[in-house]
Amino acid sequence: MVNFMAVFNARDRIIECKIVYYGPGRGGKTTNLEYIFKAGKQYTTSDMVSINTKGDRTLFFDFLPMGLGKIRGCDVRVQLYTVPGQPKYNSTRKLVLKNVDGVVFVADSLEVRRKANALSLKNLQQNLAAQNMDIFKIPLVMQYNKRDLDGQLIPIMPVEVMERDLNSQLKVPSFQASALKGTGVRDTLKKCLVLTLRHLQRELEWTR
Amino acid sequence: MSDKEHIKSLIREAELYRSQGLLEASMERYQEILQLVQKHERFSKRKKLIDAVRNRIRTVEENLAKIERETEQPELPEDVQNLIQRLFSFSRNEDTAAMEGAIALAKFGQYEKAVTEFEKLLKQGTLPLEAAKNILRCHLNFSSPKVAIGQFERWVSQKEFSKGDLKYLRDFLEDIFEKRDIKADLPEVPGAPHERARTEKREEEVLDISSVGFQLQSGPLMGKRVELQVSFQSGNTISVVIPARRKDLIDAFEPGLRLPDLQCYSLIAIFNGAGRVSGKTMITSGPRQGDYTFDITIDEA
Repeated sequence: MVNFMAVFNARDRIIECKIVYYGPGRGGKTTNLEYIFKAGKQYTTSDMVSINTKGDRTLFFDFLPMGLGKIRGCDVRVQLYTVPGQPKYNSTRKLVLKNVDGVVFVADSLEVRRKANALSLKNLQQNLAAQNMDIFKIPLVMQYNKRDLDGQLIPIMPVEVMERDLNSQLKVPSFQASALKGTGVRDTLKKCLVLTLRHLQRELEWTR
Repeated sequence: MSDKEHIKSLIREAELYRSQGLLEASMERYQEILQLVQKHERFSKRKKLIDAVRNRIRTVEENLAKIERETEQPELPEDVQNLIQRLFSFSRNEDTAAMEGAIALAKFGQYEKAVTEFEKLLKQGTLPLEAAKNILRCHLNFSSPKVAIGQFERWVSQKEFSKGDLKYLRDFLEDIFEKRDIKADLPEVPGAPHERARTEKREEEVLDISSVGFQLQSGPLMGKRVELQVSFQSGNTISVVIPARRKDLIDAFEPGLRLPDLQCYSLIAIFNGAGRVSGKTMITSGPRQGDYTFDITIDEA
């Protein structure tokens, strides 16, 4: 059984889907969305909604609606969300993840966050499983964020180590990124959208 | 690497982690620096460095404490509350969607607005027991047991619910009080049996059910196996939608119908149970207009 958030309105040829940015706290999920909002103004359909505490930590979620225009005769609308990364907010993560169509996992390249990355990925698997979804089947893209710190004498993990830690079994597309500078943000989202729409195309048969 | 260089690199790390909000990691590095500096009595400016590191540690400690103190779920502006309600209503059935939206508000700690929404649902007669239970939950989370009891007393005096339903709500409240070790006197429901309804006992332990399967025991579809996807679940009550074109199935489903061989599919387990059809509503608007929503209450094991 497959759960979709995606709504396909056959009469008006509109498809709406949901992509969630997941990952450990302080890993750069909100920064990804902020960059997309700033750099992709022509695609965003309203302001980004971000609910933070004073400490700049995401408490609930960030939300950014986008319109991609017509694809194969369909008006494609995408909702981007982030989840709060702190372990204690799992019930919120579960709620935000409900009926997700595609996931971007934002991993932190800092060596001190190695364990947090692994725990967050495990948590994603469990929360998807709780809604009958399989991490091996859902459109998923891995992003290794904060690569701009490479060469700045801060211990960061080589990409090969992150691949081994997080992607050796999943084998999903992965991208190096610096959400702060915008590097890799667009490519990550683009890949996730392609995978998600391809998946929905198969499941909803919306091109027929 | 000399100790001096090591300390410099630790300072770089500690500062970066602090700037990124990784406060625990930053604190560890500062502690490490402090220990290293304290060991080297011959360092020039040793005292100045120790003071500076201690200051940093204090700042990080204060930031950590501030985060701990901050309200976990602050009251949000109305437009954001409305957005939450809209974004987290997934069902195409308007009533179920309204319930999902109100539950989402409660889950995000927007209790006052959630209570208003549950009260609306209660007035409309939409999933009234679920609405009532959620009102009690909200009162317990944002006000006090006294307020929840007051609400229950009003329902008893207003006769809005049947005796059976009031007893069900009383048992529900009593269970929560027991779980949270709250000592309180709950008013009895006049004329209702004293023993506790079994269905509520383990409500919060009910697994998320994604679909159910069963065999019809009578009527033209007798012996036929049916599988239905669950569109909504609250405790041990699930809702399923049957499309209008399945008139045979809709006719076979009437409130009160026992389902003695109910197979419940959840991700972690498939379990056999029994239940009864506890509600039937025709969807009157939206893309599923004409379809029917059925509530099935699963018996406690």
